[in-house]
Amino acid sequence: MIRTENLAKVYNGKAAVDGLDLEVGEGEIFGFLGPNGAGKSTTILMLTGMIEPTGGRCLVDGIEVAKDPLKVKKIIGYLPEDVGFYGNMTGEQNLDYFSRFYGMNAKERKERIAELLDLVHLGGVTQKAGEYSRGMKQRLGLAQALINDPRVLFLDEPTANLDPEGVREYRDLVERLAGEGKTVFVSSHILSEVRAVCRTVGLLAKGKLVAQGTLDEVARTLAPSDGDAVRIVVETQEHLPDIEDTELLAVERNGNRAVFRAKTDIRDRLAASLLEQGIHVREMRIEEPDIEDIFMAAYRR
Amino acid sequence: MAFDRVLNVAKKEFSDHITSRRFIIILALFLVISTVSIHEGIELYNTRLEMYNEQLRQMTAGFEGLYPGQMPEKPSIMLVFLFMMGYMTALGSILALAVGFDLVSKEKESRSLKSLLSHPVYRDEIINGKMLGGVGALGFAMALALALSLAMLLVFSVVPTLDEFAAILIFGAASLGLLLAYFAIALTMSTVAKESGNALIYTLVIFAIVSTLLPAFGTMAADVFAGDPPEPPETVVPMPTPAQSSGGGYVTADDPRETDPAWKDYEEARKTYIEKRRLISDISSILSPQANYVMVSLAVTDPGSSTMYTAYGAVQAEPGGLADALGRIWMNIAAIIVFPAAFFAATYVKFMRMDIR
Repeated sequence: MIRTENLAKVYNGKAAVDGLDLEVGEGEIFGFLGPNGAGKSTTILMLTGMIEPTGGRCLVDGIEVAKDPLKVKKIIGYLPEDVGFYGNMTGEQNLDYFSRFYGMNAKERKERIAELLDLVHLGGVTQKAGEYSRGMKQRLGLAQALINDPRVLFLDEPTANLDPEGVREYRDLVERLAGEGKTVFVSSHILSEVRAVCRTVGLLAKGKLVAQGTLDEVARTLAPSDGDAVRIVVETQEHLPDIEDTELLAVERNGNRAVFRAKTDIRDRLAASLLEQGIHVREMRIEEPDIEDIFMAAYRR
Repeated sequence: MAFDRVLNVAKKEFSDHITSRRFIIILALFLVISTVSIHEGIELYNTRLEMYNEQLRQMTAGFEGLYPGQMPEKPSIMLVFLFMMGYMTALGSILALAVGFDLVSKEKESRSLKSLLSHPVYRDEIINGKMLGGVGALGFAMALALALSLAMLLVFSVVPTLDEFAAILIFGAASLGLLLAYFAIALTMSTVAKESGNALIYTLVIFAIVSTLLPAFGTMAADVFAGDPPEPPETVVPMPTPAQSSGGGYVTADDPRETDPAWKDYEEARKTYIEKRRLISDISSILSPQANYVMVSLAVTDPGSSTMYTAYGAVQAEPGGLADALGRIWMNIAAIIVFPAAFFAATYVKFMRMDIR
């Protein structure tokens, strides 16, 4: 549904996005991860037809965005980071103004706007948008992104200004939209947020795609290379004796606790050996790298 | 570009303008002062009309008066609009600047522009809609002012002729041209500046340059480039003496200015000097919407005596009708149209290339 081919954007001689190749399937909830300044928002602006790429191309539902931005805008919804509205108009008036660009008649507009305002809990709010809190603006932003019942939804830092209840409702909504077959593209620098809703992710750093796939796949790709070694964490009740095993590479000891680096998973032999020596095992597990740490390391690279 | 989308933006902008507190306050002030100025103009018109009627009455009663052969001139109701011109250049300009200075910068600050651009609308449709909305609001203000002035004329039983009505419409168009020139400046600055505060400062600086500095610079440049005025020859010009005949009046001896070649040369040199000054002054004035507006307004409100007064007291009488008067100032008319068009074009280009991150 979304594809970029060698996509690039250069600002003042500096590449904000550099040869990006990305593919997101229909009905996917895709998390676009990366630190601030990685080029996530620039990529979204190109995908939504708001700026033209310097190089390469991007396609949404097979339509090349730079060639027919209006056609793309008709089938997408976009919630920008720090979304803004006309402060002198109510939420309803703002939505009515935007909805007129889709050729909806008065009845359609009225019904759709009422439905969306109820969805984001802003129904009956008569305040001007200029008096809205940031959370209210974010919710109205979500409503404006859905005004045309889009097939593809681009959300840039969608939970930035939401309270915990708002975040929970947002997650439910995204799940529901994906259930309806819509493709959701979520850009965020917060891993926990992406983890909560996204099935696949792409990690962007310095304008380049570092990894793409499921979270586990990306984590494995990004995990620091330790050869094919398996790290086994062991904690015993008594002092850990010396262990001999042909597969064992190294042992890092710390009192009753140790990390064994082995060529293969030797937990069964290790447990039997300790039992023979009358040592009581409190814990024995394979140490998986922490996904947060992996991503943080990738951010810093 | 689809007109329905341009119209959608324009309708919203027009509605924003005419319901904004800023616009309403300045427009109300503008209309109140216009009303007062029109009232003053009508009083002057009535006074002149009474004088004219009195002169006619004396002529029909057989009093030839002191100026035989001279027919009194009937005052034009365009005199009323001469008063309005002064207020238009001041308050009208402020209204135009107020309408345009934050039209784009406010959208950048509130980030509403990004939201708007995410919907199916092209950038040129947005900026054209904004221009159209602003022009509509200023046209609305101008139409109100003209309607008010016409209503007041009728209240005071002054009914314009068809020619005068045409002149009023031309005056209204010229006034709208002035408002559009300042609106265009403000809109350009609003597109260039990132914040409305800066946009206002830039707008006021450009306003001061084109309305005050440029005409002043023109006068200075005329002084510098035209040099000193020619000196008259030292020939004694005889004073008129009372006539000896019974007919009364004054007679003069032969005027050497008509026969002396030195005087003829002087007159030629003086004429050339005045033309040169005018040319230099006109070149800088043509860049000032205010100067152009004053020229057009004077031609419309008083076409019969488009007399050019220079700093050296030169008088060049070129009597004629409205069409003749407008023909003589075609460059000013063209400038009134070209000036806002140039700034609108600059706004368009800048807006199309604007970084919306």
